[in-house]
Amino acid sequence: MLIMTPLGLLPAARARAQGAPLTVLSRAEGEILDALGETLLPGAAAAGITNYVDAQLAKDLPFLIYRYLDVPIPAADFYRGGLAALDAYSEATHGSAFADLSSSEKTTVVGGMAGGKPEGWEGPPAGLVYFVVRADAVDVVYGTEAGFERLGLPYLEHIAPPERW
Amino acid sequence: MARFQDEEYGRTGAGTPGAAPVPGVTPGVGASPAAEVTGASPAASPGASPAAASAGEKVDAVIVGCGASGSLLAAKLATAGKSVVILEAGPNLGLKDMVSSQIWSRRWRWNGAETENGGAVGAGFNNGWGGGGSASHHYAVWLRLHEEDFEVTSRFGVGNDWPFSYADLRPYYDRIQEEVGISGDAEAEVWRPEGDPYPMPPLRSLGQGRAIARGFAAIGVRTAPTPVAINSVAYKGRSPCVYDGWCDAGCPIGALANPLVTYLPVATKAGTEIRFDCTATQILTDRTGARAVGVRYVDGDGAERVQEAAVVIVAAFAIQTPRLLLLSANERHPDGLANSSGLVGAYITAHPFQSVYALFDDETDVAFGVSGGNVLSQDDYAKDPDKGYLASWQWTGGSSVKPNDLIGVAMARVDLFGDALHAFIADASKHLTNMAWVGENRAMVDNRITLSKTTDRLGLPIAKLTHEFHEDDLKALEAGMEQGQAAMRAGGAREVWLSGRATQHIMGGAIMGTDPANSVTDAYGVTHDVGNLVVSGTPLFPTSGAVNPTFTVHALALRQAEHLIEEWGAIAR
Repeated sequence: MLIMTPLGLLPAARARAQGAPLTVLSRAEGEILDALGETLLPGAAAAGITNYVDAQLAKDLPFLIYRYLDVPIPAADFYRGGLAALDAYSEATHGSAFADLSSSEKTTVVGGMAGGKPEGWEGPPAGLVYFVVRADAVDVVYGTEAGFERLGLPYLEHIAPPERW
Repeated sequence: MARFQDEEYGRTGAGTPGAAPVPGVTPGVGASPAAEVTGASPAASPGASPAAASAGEKVDAVIVGCGASGSLLAAKLATAGKSVVILEAGPNLGLKDMVSSQIWSRRWRWNGAETENGGAVGAGFNNGWGGGGSASHHYAVWLRLHEEDFEVTSRFGVGNDWPFSYADLRPYYDRIQEEVGISGDAEAEVWRPEGDPYPMPPLRSLGQGRAIARGFAAIGVRTAPTPVAINSVAYKGRSPCVYDGWCDAGCPIGALANPLVTYLPVATKAGTEIRFDCTATQILTDRTGARAVGVRYVDGDGAERVQEAAVVIVAAFAIQTPRLLLLSANERHPDGLANSSGLVGAYITAHPFQSVYALFDDETDVAFGVSGGNVLSQDDYAKDPDKGYLASWQWTGGSSVKPNDLIGVAMARVDLFGDALHAFIADASKHLTNMAWVGENRAMVDNRITLSKTTDRLGLPIAKLTHEFHEDDLKALEAGMEQGQAAMRAGGAREVWLSGRATQHIMGGAIMGTDPANSVTDAYGVTHDVGNLVVSGTPLFPTSGAVNPTFTVHALALRQAEHLIEEWGAIAR
């Protein structure tokens, strides 16, 4: 799937590799999302999770799984709020922004989010942030023809997505 | 589907026991407050709305919603010579847009007005839009309700009776299955109510289905091939299934019976005009309030228009249908249109649903087959108070599952992340088996759609969905989970676990009945209060039964269509 970036239509991974600017999320928010995605599913950052989410948020009708979840907050506000909450929680509990935590500290923080309600978390519910971004990570890593190939699954498309990522 | 209620937060998501709970947010958080909605509404006639331009000539019928029932009604009415306009809130997506991708498939999900949803019902996932509505990408598990589902009050003193019996609806089930085509083995379905045999043999069973059937047989539970509106052989010019497992993203070859290949082509060929990107905002009545005169809507350019019609049909699924009736309150109908009973929005039901997952040593072909699965068991469908609960339930097993999305492999263990998630996806993409327990939801008056204080992008109150399960529903679920785990273990699974609790299908909200005091419409969906206002689709269901509703939606719509055509002079006068 190609995504629209300020550098033009690019596969998400290439957009990330080329440093395509974000259009909805800030650069700082993008760094948190990269770090969270990578913790949830290693490889998600390089696969372009941040550029993918950012490009979707810029559309009237995003393809994000968020759409299913009946959450009465605009998607961009949800992501911004969730990423800010993650950073604030990391600062409060580990004295550092989330992206600057060690790998094991990141795992501890994300494990707490997976548990649903880490003490002191303020913002969109931690468990929902975990659920949504985890799904985004799986989308960019495995929800593509390349992802199927890594799993040894024939894609068997009727109508192929416009382009490989 | 694939949603669960998080006990602590009372919200929804998908997951497994022991997995991460997925809390939601308090309904209304982040939404702009709006004035309390009183049901007041400006216009009692089209002429009372100077901002709304006429959308053209008055037509015989305007239908709100282009899903399963709206498509069928349009096809039948237009073929009978009626002029028909369909107003569809979604975009003009067609077969060419059915890209094989779970990501791209999300284009087919409802993206209109949000629903304030404080319960376990997955409104966002269940609602569709565009041509075909949610039926455009439904799983086509086409089962008949059982005789007792129509008579739960008479037989058991609970819920609501339907205003007719299974015997009355059976001819329509038989005719629809011939018109559309169903693959199955009627004799193997020992629980099936009387009906004609299926016109096509069943689909092939893949690895998952074989494992599940083996497990059930080992514990003495009978199974049959799941009857599906998917061609096992070429049928009426449509191709047979190729088992690639992409049904959830839409079936562009037309093997799966979605309205884009069944009734919509008939409707348009007979002259039906479909207006996409058009959101109905109000049903208009004459000054007496006794007759509907048309529908006010907002088109894709944001212009407000009115389509006048002799008959107004609302076929907008179980959330938007009651919402539209409530939004259509006027001086003669201060509590909502056709709501003298106070029951518009009431008796919302949603099938409780939970999956049993298992990993087998053998490869299970989990990514392939069909999304609806290929194994059925209704051995515990019969309602029997001696069980300790009164609720029907069934298994549909062996659904094709791709790696990602809400029903994807990765969601089978939502607690896992990091390298463990990679390892699980790699293993489960070859060895996972899943089967879905689908149960009855007792019809209760307080489970309902009302208008929220939150407004949509047009400034109109969104629907607020209030829903709780009955304790019998949950007792049935508990019994099912015991049985399902036992079957998977008996089938040789190396690991068995459960998903979180979720829902499938949404019904009720404008129920049929014989008495205007306890129902919104008559047995044909004609509202008791407004003689030319008709409701169609799942909102009419007085009770839920425990079977997937789309077959029944078609049978009901055919029955309605023929009634409307026969009685047109009286209804459209």
